[in-house]
Amino acid sequence: MLSKTDTDKCVACSTCVVQCPVAEVTTKFLGPRMLGPASERFRLLNDGEDSSLTYCANCKNCDISCPQGVGVSNINMLARAAYAKKHRPSFRDWILAHGELESRLAGIFPAALANFGMANPISKCILDKIGISKKADLPRFASKQLAAAFKAYKQPEQLSKKVVFFPGCFIKAYAPQTGMDFVWLLNKAGYRVELPDAFCCCGTPLYTNGFADDARKNAEKNLAEMRKWKEQGIKVLALCPSCELMFKEELPVFFPDLAHDGASYLENGEEFVLGCISRGELVIDAPGNAMKDKKIIYHAPCHLRALGSGMPGLDMLGSIPGLKVSSASAGCCGISGSYGFKKEKYDISMAIGSKLFQSIKNSNADLAATECGTCKVQIMHGTAMPCEHPVSILKHYLEKEQQ
Amino acid sequence: MSKKTDIIVVGSGLAGLTAALSARASGRQVLLITHGVGSLAVSSGCIDVLGYHNGCPVQDPIADLPQLNPEHPYSLAGAERVEKAIDWLQSLCLAGGLNMQKNLSRRNHELITVMGTLKPSYLCPESFCTECFAKARRAAVVSFENMKDVHPLLIIDQLHRYARFADMEFMEAMLPCPIDQSHRNVTPLDVARFVDTPEGLEWLRLSLEPYAKLYPILLMPPVLGVKNSQKVWGTLCDVLKVRIVEMVSIPPGVAGLRLREVLRNALNEAGITMIENALAVRAVADDKKCLSVVTSGAGGEHSWEASQFIIATGGILGGGVATSPGKAWETIFNIPIKAPENPQEWSSTEIFGRSFFSQMGVRVNADLKAIDDSGAVLYENVRFAGRTIGGYDYASEKSGHGTALVTGMLAGELAGKE
Ligand SMILES: Cc1cc2nc3c(=O)[nH]c(=O)nc-3n(C[C@H](O)[C@H](O)[C@H](O)COP(=O)(O)OP(=O)(O)OC[C@H]3O[C@@H](n4cnc5c(N)ncnc54)[C@H](O)[C@@H]3O)c2cc1C
Ligand code: SF4
Ligand code: SF4
Repeated sequence: MLSKTDTDKCVACSTCVVQCPVAEVTTKFLGPRMLGPASERFRLLNDGEDSSLTYCANCKNCDISCPQGVGVSNINMLARAAYAKKHRPSFRDWILAHGELESRLAGIFPAALANFGMANPISKCILDKIGISKKADLPRFASKQLAAAFKAYKQPEQLSKKVVFFPGCFIKAYAPQTGMDFVWLLNKAGYRVELPDAFCCCGTPLYTNGFADDARKNAEKNLAEMRKWKEQGIKVLALCPSCELMFKEELPVFFPDLAHDGASYLENGEEFVLGCISRGELVIDAPGNAMKDKKIIYHAPCHLRALGSGMPGLDMLGSIPGLKVSSASAGCCGISGSYGFKKEKYDISMAIGSKLFQSIKNSNADLAATECGTCKVQIMHGTAMPCEHPVSILKHYLEKEQQ
Repeated sequence: MSKKTDIIVVGSGLAGLTAALSARASGRQVLLITHGVGSLAVSSGCIDVLGYHNGCPVQDPIADLPQLNPEHPYSLAGAERVEKAIDWLQSLCLAGGLNMQKNLSRRNHELITVMGTLKPSYLCPESFCTECFAKARRAAVVSFENMKDVHPLLIIDQLHRYARFADMEFMEAMLPCPIDQSHRNVTPLDVARFVDTPEGLEWLRLSLEPYAKLYPILLMPPVLGVKNSQKVWGTLCDVLKVRIVEMVSIPPGVAGLRLREVLRNALNEAGITMIENALAVRAVADDKKCLSVVTSGAGGEHSWEASQFIIATGGILGGGVATSPGKAWETIFNIPIKAPENPQEWSSTEIFGRSFFSQMGVRVNADLKAIDDSGAVLYENVRFAGRTIGGYDYASEKSGHGTALVTGMLAGELAGKE
């Protein structure tokens, strides 16, 4: 059996080159076929590295399009990690990779102050100097991060069933409301939610920015915590497609010794909610006036598409009575985590996203929806439209119907 | 978790996309499941219906259909259906802003390739049509510096060997490469993407202007954009007062991508969800009825239920057929494909000879359902479309997209009726 990163499966058909969003907008990038399977053969000979390796956004459209099942993006990321071992990544990349750590530091200061520090023109200039585009809208730390919000929230008594929530660093630091909306939905469906302190960033920003050792430490911590819940037979749920993909597809490739079969014990939170609906635990047969004739346009994050599990968020939105839902189907938003914040990549990122922005603007929708936190940031930046996680939209609906 | 819909199509090559669209026309819910994007995306995007029969060039493919062997997908579908499918695709494309044309005399086009050879095809974008050469006898052959696969002098030399072009005056027009500092080979797709931008279009217009003053025809690789090629072609022909003819390129063929975008948009407008990166690994069936297909992906295994299924997973290259020495089978239902035990008998020493390898695939009836040796249907609610069907050799007869389109549309329509 050939492994997913085996270069010999590549038949050089160039399908991935045609579908790579970065190659589409810039010829500075060597493209997936050459950078991935073709260069890998030279890497095996220790024959230098292509200068455009950092231009791969790890968006996974190459993997999605490849008819032969070559894991091109993982070949690229493994090469990047190997390169970073010999050539230290920049301070800028360190900053972008360690958002979770910074959020903890920021937690010491009031968010307004911390964010003022990031958003004011003077610090934007400083960030620009170290290589973070001053045109980018960096996400803001929430005034109350998830752990604090969760602590302050009282879950209903007498919930007999239990699930565990793996929030990931984005929801933890920047979008705690999404996490709390999810907790609310799960409570309503009869589940008590656990939010273990031990869960930290899944490692995607760390690994893709070249900090493999830090990613490994996180993986160890997260997998150990998952093991505890697995032994008790209690499900662990995630809302971020990139976290899910990290555990299910990337960790077993990056750290095969850690993430052996079944170690990544994690399920898709939206699918779980859909299950609650179909089991009758969560009832949506309300009269349906709360969102009547509201229009929503949904964007499927590339990492969700890469999971190959379907579109649970779209299905969930489709289950809300009266709501008009359409899918943008306009490909990658361009942000790819922290990629689009980087000075030399900002324009590439916006050019990639332009098709999606246009599609969203043309839709005349009231609201955009997507699961991925940074896709959300990019959509709001590119369209000036509000954008929400599907679980939040479902929660708003049920809450309003209750009133 | 298991999910339900009316009709499931597996595969997103031309057969899968057209099957999904025609099934959706019945009003049923359709879900498209795919692992990889299929050969359409890198192909020339010209619809070959039948270029050769037993090694001889075919002038009028529709007239020649009755001569095909009875197992050929066209024979199963019938000539009328072939024409209907072509007209249907033509109107779909037109609605999506792409004008696909038949040859004026309803015969095969003779398209010009970037190798300077002629290739028979039945339906192509207007920008590929070569009939203008009947009137104008002079053309500039355009290429771009650093575009290593397109050499005007080779094309001119080669074209002069054909009687049709022997006495024509050609001129080489080598334009500077608009893409600077690239360390990768520049392909027609790179230039086409540049031409999609306003500055790219203006650059192309200015670069072509001097040649347009000298020659009535400009022959060039498929660089007239991906998103709006029809408009780009029309505008440039108008303002430059020339006829531009695009050539068929090796992959990435650009025009295949144009056609795929048109079909993808149509799919989205029709409300068909596409599940990508999901490999259908097996089917669950109750005797002769398929209940669900199971997919495997990074997110784990999923089961998808439907009342009708269309399998459009391509051949060996696409993933629909697998082989080991002496054995061949369809990959989702594990349908055995009768193969000579001796692998040497799989191929033929004659270029246009019939060989097992080039024709292997699932045996189907006129309803496009798989049948066994005795002709009995294997699964009542499963149809096959495209290259995964056996009994024809698309490469030597030049019928790839044609069979995919005809069987895709038919499978969708039949599934929608049940
Ligand atoms: C490079 C190239 C260029 C060509 N150019 C032309 C041309 O210009 N004109 C022409 O007429 N013909 C051309 N052909 C031939 C033509 O492309 C094919 O014969 C025809 O399009 C086949 O279409 P298909 O949909 O049956 O198969 P494919 O295009 O192979 O599509 C199969 C689809 O099924 C998916 N799939 C396979 N197995 C599974 C599974 N288990 N689960 C989920 N999904 C699966 C694949 O990823 C793919 O999306 C070309 C072929 C190639 C290879
Ligand atoms: S799509 Fe897959 S097989 Fe084709 S060139 Fe890319 S990696 Fe190779
Ligand atoms: S991961 Fe994305 S950017 Fe990187 S090679 Fe693949 S398609 Fe291109």
